[in-house]
Amino acid sequence: MIPTIDFSAPRHRAKFGYLLLAPAVLLMAVIIVYPILLSVSISMQDVRIARIGDSGEPWTLENYQWLFGSGETWHALWVTFKLVAVVGGLSVIIGFATAMLVNQKFRGRAAARLFVALPWAVPEVVATVIWAWMLDSSFGLVNWVLLTSGLVSEPIAFGSNPTAAFAAVCFVMIWKGYPLMSIMLLAGLQSIPEEQYQAAKVDGAGVWQRFWYITLPNMLPVVGVTMVMTTLWVFRDFAIIHVLTQGGPLGATTTLSILTFEQSFEFFRMGQGAAVGVLTMVLCAIISRALVGRMAKSVH
Amino acid sequence: MQQRHPLNTIALYLTVLVTCGLLLFPIYWMVVTALQPASNLRAYPPQFWPADPQWNVFADLLAKHPFMLWFSNTILIAFATMTISLAVSILAAYALSRFRLRGGQGLGLFILTSKMLPATLLIIPLFAIFRSTGLVGSLWSVVIAQATLIVPFCTWMLKGYFDTMPPELEQAALVDGCSPLGTIFRIVLPVAAPGLAATALYAFVVSWSDFLFGRTFLTTNDESWTLQMGIASLKGEFVTEWNVIMAGSIMASIPIIIVYLFLERFLVGGLAAGSEK
Repeated sequence: MIPTIDFSAPRHRAKFGYLLLAPAVLLMAVIIVYPILLSVSISMQDVRIARIGDSGEPWTLENYQWLFGSGETWHALWVTFKLVAVVGGLSVIIGFATAMLVNQKFRGRAAARLFVALPWAVPEVVATVIWAWMLDSSFGLVNWVLLTSGLVSEPIAFGSNPTAAFAAVCFVMIWKGYPLMSIMLLAGLQSIPEEQYQAAKVDGAGVWQRFWYITLPNMLPVVGVTMVMTTLWVFRDFAIIHVLTQGGPLGATTTLSILTFEQSFEFFRMGQGAAVGVLTMVLCAIISRALVGRMAKSVH
Repeated sequence: MQQRHPLNTIALYLTVLVTCGLLLFPIYWMVVTALQPASNLRAYPPQFWPADPQWNVFADLLAKHPFMLWFSNTILIAFATMTISLAVSILAAYALSRFRLRGGQGLGLFILTSKMLPATLLIIPLFAIFRSTGLVGSLWSVVIAQATLIVPFCTWMLKGYFDTMPPELEQAALVDGCSPLGTIFRIVLPVAAPGLAATALYAFVVSWSDFLFGRTFLTTNDESWTLQMGIASLKGEFVTEWNVIMAGSIMASIPIIIVYLFLERFLVGGLAAGSEK
């Protein structure tokens, strides 16, 4: 007979806890820990198409020599940072403004909150094809608006002009990125105690003073968290750039993620691709330390 | 609350309307483009209202492309991912929230960090694993790959939710002779229903919207594709039929837009609970 353990007995409580954790731990060991170790080992071998098991290739650092020696990596790093700065900056501004707007008291506020963050629910690929059509160089709406308002004299070629293509990627990313900011910043705004505003009003503080001395200081931690989250998203996102520009033209929109994919699945140099990926992972780990530090307090 | 000046009220409503109008214009444009006759798409100036809506564009789409297969593949993947991730995450999140286990803190940190892994790196070793196990081309490869990102997020989100629930109810149930596992299913989960809904919604939306994993693991033939891959491939065709693409886009986004509209309240609460703490 199988000995039964009474898990409700206090001395067996911990065992029950471990039992609950077991499926998650096993799953993560197989689909996260092992793949990470495998990718580090692939990045240190001259592998074209990776498979598991001993490839017979000697350990080498030549992928990392290529990584730091080639202009491609540094260019991709520069593109990624530019994208983080533009997308992070503008989507926090739009997110903050929309959150402030739907935090006002008015009839229909619930509906406004729902609609203002709606792009969050649009899949990235769908968002990208909509914008690709709006930015079309011959029949796109954006060019029509720019031409009729006299801002440009000839249509902008969002597909072939490097600066315009970068801007196009920014449009899509900001449109997809601001709703989450708006949602989280609204939650932050709602947690500011109403008494602070009332006290400031009694002291005669105007709208701007209340924003500057109450709203902003209270919101800084939340803004920090959302900025880090957006940065990590821009670092790791693939679908938008791949569908919109495929990293082009002339590498103008090739971020680290795009470079990883390109090396591994288009040029079939998985060793080099893995090296770029490992670099991205290390950078993401450094960036997320800011976030983890704050969140780790709640682990226990 | 003091009374607002009527002019200010009007200004506020105008601002809200204009803001929503501008931000949601791409969604409107998707619908208008889909319903235009193809010849109108090259009209100058652009037509902002489909005077003569062409509903047969949807029939066109279904006739020219294996769209229903893409649809059912996507639904299968999303449901499988959601179910598996939720089942695993519920147990782990409950354990992390209620038990002080040796190594629990380390595991929590690990889960938190693995939310931030770049997926473009993970696909390289996963591709090697799936190739050796013959999973490349199977829908399961995408389900497994998505679990790498979704399980950590769901666990973290649910743990945040369980932390907000008082443990007294469970203790009372245990004293009354309910088994520990029974306590989770009969006491904890019903109370945590809003948190579960938010987490399930999140998993569904992320899985539905995936492009990278499908693009990497399902390349053999277009019958095993997902919706997102199908739509991306339409854009890459030599002659881009924007009305057909937009019709596909509508069908690929409507299910999750509906889910979002109904469950947004839970989602906002869940995201706030899972991310801010």
